[in-house]
Amino acid sequence: MVPILQVNSLTGGYSPRRPVLHDVSFEIKAGEMVGLIGLNGAGKSTTIKHILGLMKPQIGEVKVSGVTLESDTERYRSSFAYVPETPVLFDELTVEEHLRLTGMAYSVQDKSYETKEEELLTEFQMLPKRKAFASHLSKGMKQKVMIMNALLAEPPLYIIDEPFLGLDPLGIRSLLERLVEVKQKGAAILMSSHILSTVEAYCDRFIVMHHGKIVALGTLDEVRQAAGLEMRGGSLEDAFYKLVTGGTD
Amino acid sequence: MSQDRSMEAIWRKRAKAFRAETLPYFRYMGQSGFPAFMSLILISCTIGYFKLIHHVPANFPVAAVGVIALTLVLCWSPLRTWLAAGDTVFMMPREAEMSSYLRISFRYTTIACAVLAAAVLLLYLPIYNQGAAYYGAWMLVVVAAVLKAANIWGAWKERQMTWPGMRRLMRLLRWMLTACTLTAWLAASELWQAAGFTLLIASLYVLLYKLPSKHQFPWERLIEEEGKTRKRYYAFFGLFIDVPTLQSSVARRSYLAWVLRLVPYSNRNTFTYLYAASLLRAEIGGMMLRLLFLGCLIIYWFAEAASLSGYGSVIVFVIFMGIIAVQLGGLRHVHRYSVWKHVYPLPEAQRIEQYLKVDRISLFSCVVILWLFAAIPLAVAGVYMPSLIAAVLALAYLALRPMRLRKKLIKDEEEE
Repeated sequence: MVPILQVNSLTGGYSPRRPVLHDVSFEIKAGEMVGLIGLNGAGKSTTIKHILGLMKPQIGEVKVSGVTLESDTERYRSSFAYVPETPVLFDELTVEEHLRLTGMAYSVQDKSYETKEEELLTEFQMLPKRKAFASHLSKGMKQKVMIMNALLAEPPLYIIDEPFLGLDPLGIRSLLERLVEVKQKGAAILMSSHILSTVEAYCDRFIVMHHGKIVALGTLDEVRQAAGLEMRGGSLEDAFYKLVTGGTD
Repeated sequence: MSQDRSMEAIWRKRAKAFRAETLPYFRYMGQSGFPAFMSLILISCTIGYFKLIHHVPANFPVAAVGVIALTLVLCWSPLRTWLAAGDTVFMMPREAEMSSYLRISFRYTTIACAVLAAAVLLLYLPIYNQGAAYYGAWMLVVVAAVLKAANIWGAWKERQMTWPGMRRLMRLLRWMLTACTLTAWLAASELWQAAGFTLLIASLYVLLYKLPSKHQFPWERLIEEEGKTRKRYYAFFGLFIDVPTLQSSVARRSYLAWVLRLVPYSNRNTFTYLYAASLLRAEIGGMMLRLLFLGCLIIYWFAEAASLSGYGSVIVFVIFMGIIAVQLGGLRHVHRYSVWKHVYPLPEAQRIEQYLKVDRISLFSCVVILWLFAAIPLAVAGVYMPSLIAAVLALAYLALRPMRLRKKLIKDEEEE
């Protein structure tokens, strides 16, 4: 089975002389939720930007649904939905119109679109705000709109950067429930977050980045092992702390 | 040190920073053909004006022109405060001292506005004196000064109002009351009528402004207003050179919502939908609507009088078509740096074609409306040739525009 996302020996950054990422490799299969964790500046966002095709790898390649951006742009782009860390919405579009725009961009069938729209608006408690302009929404609500857009597209891969910032408790719960649901239907999810307890509870595997390199990759047990902790000894947070501080307690 | 932190020093520093920030753009504007173009317009206006005051036609609407021109300059009462979003954190703790800060703002803007109003009044007086001129020029100056002061006071009270709906309503009312007062002074022959009417309106005005709930210091309102002013400056500079994008302001324009619903729900219309929405709601759309309204009005005047055997309206038609087309060109910059342009699974070439579609349809609609305002009155007068020529010119321009625009869009893309 071809993994949905393949990152192979990726080295890249903003300047060719000073790459941010060094030889990063991992893959995500269908029906898998993977947590991307690391300190601020560890290279998480840069990795995501490379996957989105907003940055070009200096060495290595990124494949989504088995193709690179250059070889089949349309297939590559329609294979994922992205929820950025800071909501980027169009000020002049209402909540409903954002959903419609996404529906058009990702070719969501006309018939199922209406139902999906209602479902999402209800689930994320945004029905009273459906006609509100993005510029009049609170930060958490903007984030909800971003998440609803990603869920509407139902792509094989979700790339989610810090989704919980500004979300209310009900919003966090709805998001996690929906992610579990799409995962069970066969979607792959790459989620970057600092809320390690949530990441530990929901993700199947973890990628720990430090100084632009992957320092641990795999299940919780494998991450513990990489951190030098005993099997079943300590949480993801303990392992993470060990990994990024070089084991000096 | 304490000297530097005084409110006056902060105000002066900010005003200076704004001047320094905009100076290079003024230079770019100077290098373009704009000053030459403006001087041309100014010269032709001056010639027209002197011709007019030399001999004002008997049927010239002296009072109506006075009411329109003076209402515009007397009611318009902006306030530059240089306040920005961060000030709710940094300046708010010093709210008690803000009155000295505002005082300089008022002085600064009032002087500029008063000079403008005085200039318009001076230009109007020779016309006024050749009309009925029930009262002396000095009386008119006093009336204008009182009205200007009342408007500045009213505009400040409106800024303090808590509810946006109430604020807009009061502003509309202020403009209407000013226009009514001016009408009384320019058209009523008895002094006691004009004075009595003014007193009545003044008391109504004061009473109304006392009613709604108000903020002591309308931080958000002032920050928003300052933001809008800056945006206008940059929109203007944007005609000459690329400018940093400021956060755009959005208007709902519900009366145009049906246009957006006309875009069919399908993948190949994604960017058509996005650009159409941006055009309808952003500042560009508002500017275009205002220009269209003004254009229709002036074209109608020229066509109705069949001036220059009907070709006067063709000239105005071409000028307004050009200005609207330039405005519409600004849409190209709206989503230039949007991340979604790259993330959406849509081919880039499609974006350009869909952009051109929005451009073509919107310009075509505006041109047809402008043309009708020339063609119908001319046809009524039995003149057909000028409308035909206008139509040919418009069609030629509409046919050529997409080619040039496509080249620009492709170039924009390569530059990114």
